[in-house]
Amino acid sequence: MELQERLNEVFCQVFDDEDIRIAPEMTADDVDGWDSLSHVNLIVAVESTFGIRFTHKEVLTFKNIGDLMNCIAAKVQ
Amino acid sequence: MPFNSLHYFIFLPIVYLVFYLAGDRARWGVLLAASFGFYCALKVPYLPVVLTLVTLTTYCFGIWLHKAQGTRAKLAVLWGGIASNVLVLVLMKYLPFFSENLGGLCRLLSLQVEVPTVRAFVAIGVSYFVFQAISYLIDIYFEVEEPEPHLGYFALYLSFFPKLLQGPIERAGDLLPQLKTPYRFDYDNMRYGMLLFAWGLFKKVVLADRLGIYADAVYNDVHAATGLQLLLGTYAYAFQIFMDFSGYTDMALGTARLFNINLTQNFNSPYLATSVADFWRRWHISFSRWILDYIFKPLQMQWRDWRTWGTAAALVVAFLVSGIWHGASWGFVIWGGLHGLYMACSVFYKPYQKKIYQSLGIQKSRYLKYWQMLVTFHLVCFAWVFFRVNSLGDALYICRFPFERAGRGLHNVLVHGFDTEDARLVLIAGALVALCGTLARNERVLSAWNRHGALRWLSYNALLLALIFLGTKSQASFIYFNF
Repeated sequence: MELQERLNEVFCQVFDDEDIRIAPEMTADDVDGWDSLSHVNLIVAVESTFGIRFTHKEVLTFKNIGDLMNCIAAKVQ
Repeated sequence: MPFNSLHYFIFLPIVYLVFYLAGDRARWGVLLAASFGFYCALKVPYLPVVLTLVTLTTYCFGIWLHKAQGTRAKLAVLWGGIASNVLVLVLMKYLPFFSENLGGLCRLLSLQVEVPTVRAFVAIGVSYFVFQAISYLIDIYFEVEEPEPHLGYFALYLSFFPKLLQGPIERAGDLLPQLKTPYRFDYDNMRYGMLLFAWGLFKKVVLADRLGIYADAVYNDVHAATGLQLLLGTYAYAFQIFMDFSGYTDMALGTARLFNINLTQNFNSPYLATSVADFWRRWHISFSRWILDYIFKPLQMQWRDWRTWGTAAALVVAFLVSGIWHGASWGFVIWGGLHGLYMACSVFYKPYQKKIYQSLGIQKSRYLKYWQMLVTFHLVCFAWVFFRVNSLGDALYICRFPFERAGRGLHNVLVHGFDTEDARLVLIAGALVALCGTLARNERVLSAWNRHGALRWLSYNALLLALIFLGTKSQASFIYFNF
């Protein structure tokens, strides 16, 4: 399964919304319920799904979903 | 030299004139000299020295941070820069608090240790520029920003006088590029800046200072107040601090706009918030963003394996820091702790919120929003009690007796120095501020305002007359100067 599709499933699960369709340029403003409090749930879910661990610097400097996808892709390779 | 003083009304046009006549290459120098002159006018000789020290150390740490090779070296430089800034803050603001509490602890434990009493320093503005300096270093570490090579521009970023004493706390990426942009006279900016300044002055002298008469009368002698007065005194303080601080912010933003600089808006109708989290997205925005980005998020990520408990703990710590930032007193610590507790509880409550509303059948009620606003406002007011009181004993008294000894009749609502005319004026001016705030967000009203010169000039004159005839004569200082 492509990375974007797997990540989309994580988003749907974390934000309890089956209709979410993520795109690289999307930010927290574009996803209902994605705020600073729920952000950590997303990060933990992504880490456990892909079997990776983000550094502080990575997590705190993601600007959009594209940055998150690039970081995941670099780590799973 | 506060913004509501005659000295400032003379200082500002002179600075603007010199700035306007100077060429683009010299303008940063004009603003820097004006900013240090503005700070020197407080007549506290060590404050400009502290500002210079923080400027030089942060500038050097910024350059070293950029040059350091490897994560470990970068982290060591970052912590060095943060520690040097925190040390300045501790020495300036917190030593008397530590020595007093250490002395108390020694007495409690019957230890024969003499803890020296430490004199408090005047620290106006220090918390603001130190927080800005820390944000600058962290942004360089995260490679969000490059270090500023020009010491003059960097010094101006920390000291720019409209935001020096009370913020907004600006990010380097927002302010530095604006300081370097060549200046061109812009009539709209000039007009808007002056209007915003006058509007801020109206909030301060007509509303905040008048509400302050009521809040001070109640809070300076809580045992003499009736239950209803305690309640109204707390509401009065809630609106006093909002009008005082948002009035100041409007004046700061208005001043900066004269120089074509847009500072961060600190407020967005905070008392219309529908949750405490929402309140912190609307109140002292530049500060809450700082706390969120540099305290809460790193802690939340550090403790992410604890899931919800980690987030709750990060919230409590972040808000305790927020409380302590306001000053070295247990009242501020409790105020921050209460907000931390509200937020931590909301993290656990949030997953059930939707289900509870559904089971009660109120999830689509149009009144739900107003109920949430009412509850949030009262939670915030309860925390304000600890923020404002002169002693913790007073706070406990207010919490015990808000509805007792209520008395009968309107005269029981008024206090010494605040008569029915003041009450009427506060209600009318408050309604006017709320109405103008709503109208200013309406595109059609704004375009009509911009088209009709007569309408604009009528409002300018009304505002000027209100300032002359309705302002209090007390020239009270701004509340957030103390932080």
